[in-house]
Amino acid sequence: MARRINVLGAAVFVLALGLWELLVRTSILDFAYLPPPTVVAQGLGELVSSGELGEALGHTLFAALSGWALAALAGVAAGSVLGLVRPVWMYSMASLEALRALPIVAFVPVAVLLFGFSVQTEIMVAFYAALWPILLNTISGMRTEPRMLESGAVLRLSRAAVLWKIRLPGATAMIVVGLRLGLSVSLVLTLVAEMVGNPAGLGFLLVEKGQALQPGQMFAAVFVIGVTGIILNALVMGAARLAFRGQMASSGEVSS
Amino acid sequence: MTPTISCTDLEVTLPGASGAVNILAGVNLSVAKAEFVSILGTSGSGKTTLLRVLGGLLPATGGEVRCDGTPIQGPPDGVVTVFQDYAHSLLPWRTVRRNVALGIEARLGRAERDERVDEALTMVGLLERADEYPWRLSGGMQQRVQIARALATRPRVLLMDEPFGALDAMTKASLQDQLQQVQSLTETTIVFVTHDVEEAVYLSDRLVVLNGSPADIGLTLDIPLPRPRHQISTKERADYLELRHRVYEALGHTVGEPARG
Amino acid sequence: MKAKKERGGTPIRGLLPLVALLVIWELVGDPASPYFPPPSTWIDGIQPLIDADKLLPAIGQTSLTFVLGLAIATALGAIVGTLVGASRSVDRALSPSLEFLRALPAASLVPVAALVLGYTTQMKLVVVVLPATWPILLTCRTARRTLSPVLLDTPRTLGLSTWHRTTKILTPALTPAVLLGVRVAAPLALIITLLVEIVTRVNGLGAALGAAQAGFLSAQVYGLLTIAGILGFAVNWIVTRAETSVSRRMRGTV
Repeated sequence: MARRINVLGAAVFVLALGLWELLVRTSILDFAYLPPPTVVAQGLGELVSSGELGEALGHTLFAALSGWALAALAGVAAGSVLGLVRPVWMYSMASLEALRALPIVAFVPVAVLLFGFSVQTEIMVAFYAALWPILLNTISGMRTEPRMLESGAVLRLSRAAVLWKIRLPGATAMIVVGLRLGLSVSLVLTLVAEMVGNPAGLGFLLVEKGQALQPGQMFAAVFVIGVTGIILNALVMGAARLAFRGQMASSGEVSS
Repeated sequence: MTPTISCTDLEVTLPGASGAVNILAGVNLSVAKAEFVSILGTSGSGKTTLLRVLGGLLPATGGEVRCDGTPIQGPPDGVVTVFQDYAHSLLPWRTVRRNVALGIEARLGRAERDERVDEALTMVGLLERADEYPWRLSGGMQQRVQIARALATRPRVLLMDEPFGALDAMTKASLQDQLQQVQSLTETTIVFVTHDVEEAVYLSDRLVVLNGSPADIGLTLDIPLPRPRHQISTKERADYLELRHRVYEALGHTVGEPARG
Repeated sequence: MKAKKERGGTPIRGLLPLVALLVIWELVGDPASPYFPPPSTWIDGIQPLIDADKLLPAIGQTSLTFVLGLAIATALGAIVGTLVGASRSVDRALSPSLEFLRALPAASLVPVAALVLGYTTQMKLVVVVLPATWPILLTCRTARRTLSPVLLDTPRTLGLSTWHRTTKILTPALTPAVLLGVRVAAPLALIITLLVEIVTRVNGLGAALGAAQAGFLSAQVYGLLTIAGILGFAVNWIVTRAETSVSRRMRGTV
């Protein structure tokens, strides 16, 4: 289906920004540090021209993507073993479920304790956060429908061929979902690690601008973070769609 | 005598995928008290739309719809629609008894409500299943629950939208006979939408055929078969076969030639 | 926990590696280690908090923020989701703005909320409510959109008032979807609660965790982490059970 441009929705968005501007300017919304959108736009300009934004964005992306890439390797490998080898699953799944219940953010202080105020802390936190969705989605993706496996048996495929031609393609859509979720949580947790741990990147930029009482620049940084998340998500989806066209359709992911 | 429910010069236009679609144009129909009228048409002919307008569930674009002489806005009191999709019309979180009570529980006291529910369930022969959940019953029984729910409100007019369309032939026949009994007992006016020619001839006092696009009434036919009717003997009568023949012709079938539509 | 295993079908023996890990840690670990203090020292680690009567209030503050935040998010998500799902044009009008708000990570909102609203419990609530609303809003929107038209026509033809239509038909029909959303939102709300507390140190378990880390009290950090984990487990267990039992009743599938 061709997507039409949602004029109404865009108008409402612009209208909301206008209303925000008006309410702040007329002091109906009266908070000491709530900037109107024009001041936020100005703040964005300042951050870009001073070079702070580019540097912080680069640092955060590096940490988040490194952690995510490590998690993708480890998660897909471990998830495949857990999904395919029944005894391993039986003797470890409950441990994983127990560990998963631990709120991920509570690990940030532990990581800071172990790795200090360094970029390693950020990468470890991003890795740990992204590992869960990737691992769990890979495990459930590898549990292929028995009927698909039966057709493999009927065609007398070897074990390796069954793995390569049936199991892996069947799991692709689920793994991609895991990779997407993992990317967005690794970005969030990198920001947290920067706020409480390593003083660098967008997370620290937010805290710093807050302490310097620069709400315009601070809101601008939040805006950049939001846009970054949207772009990263779109990139993963686009890459997945290019690489595995057929498999993606099976989970209905294409339509979203 | 004012008709119980009627429409004059009815016109309905609905928004479609590519602009507005004119569904009904110039439809005139009036139904007398205690009459059984069937609306017959091929799928997509607008018969469900007509029924929804008569039931006040859909506003008319043009013309007038009256119930007991007064123009209707929204579902009028005493006019109840029975839907084909019984599975989505019954509330799965209520028992059969509480489903049947849905239309009357806000207006009546406890004693009268229970009495009416029992009465309605007895009429459809489901009193002993009153405390079960509807999804535990067969399709035919679920449709009977929906009919009982309508009957519990003691309606003057029952609008039925292909009520037996999703049921197998045996269940359908027994529900048709049950409906006849209920009508002779309660003297309810019934407007019955169907695409089944035999069903329409068998049940009705009068039937109308909707055709064309936008649709209007192509044929009106009185069915003077004696009552009570019987699945075997009525359907073997010469006049039944003759009436059936005329309706098929009106729908575009000709003897010795495959159907056109 | 036992019920979860029975339903999920995950064998209990799968806990063996975790237990083995903890036992080895206990046997090999050096009680003086600043990084990996063995499990037995964790209780000693949080003992000072218990003695100072700080642990229970901290758990209480965290739970209060969590429960209130989740409750507000549920009401907000259910109402907005129902409205957006009921009308295509409202959906088209609001969805770009909603999508943009949804893309803002909760973490980035914390410093902003702290600056605008101050370091208060209200600020904590605002930060928790916003992200926890989305899952509920989305499931509720989908459920309202896919509600059978027949189900909506039924109370009309039976002459039910608008109030009764809402309470007797719409609310029960959408309850399973709301609970499904709550099931996703609840762990999220707990995480965000801890997150705000860790970052802003206003109060609660997260603040204690942050303070312990800042003071290099590693045994206390692990002890508090375990408590957070138990809290997380309890929340998961409660919402999952509530969701399955209510959905079963409402959807009529046993």
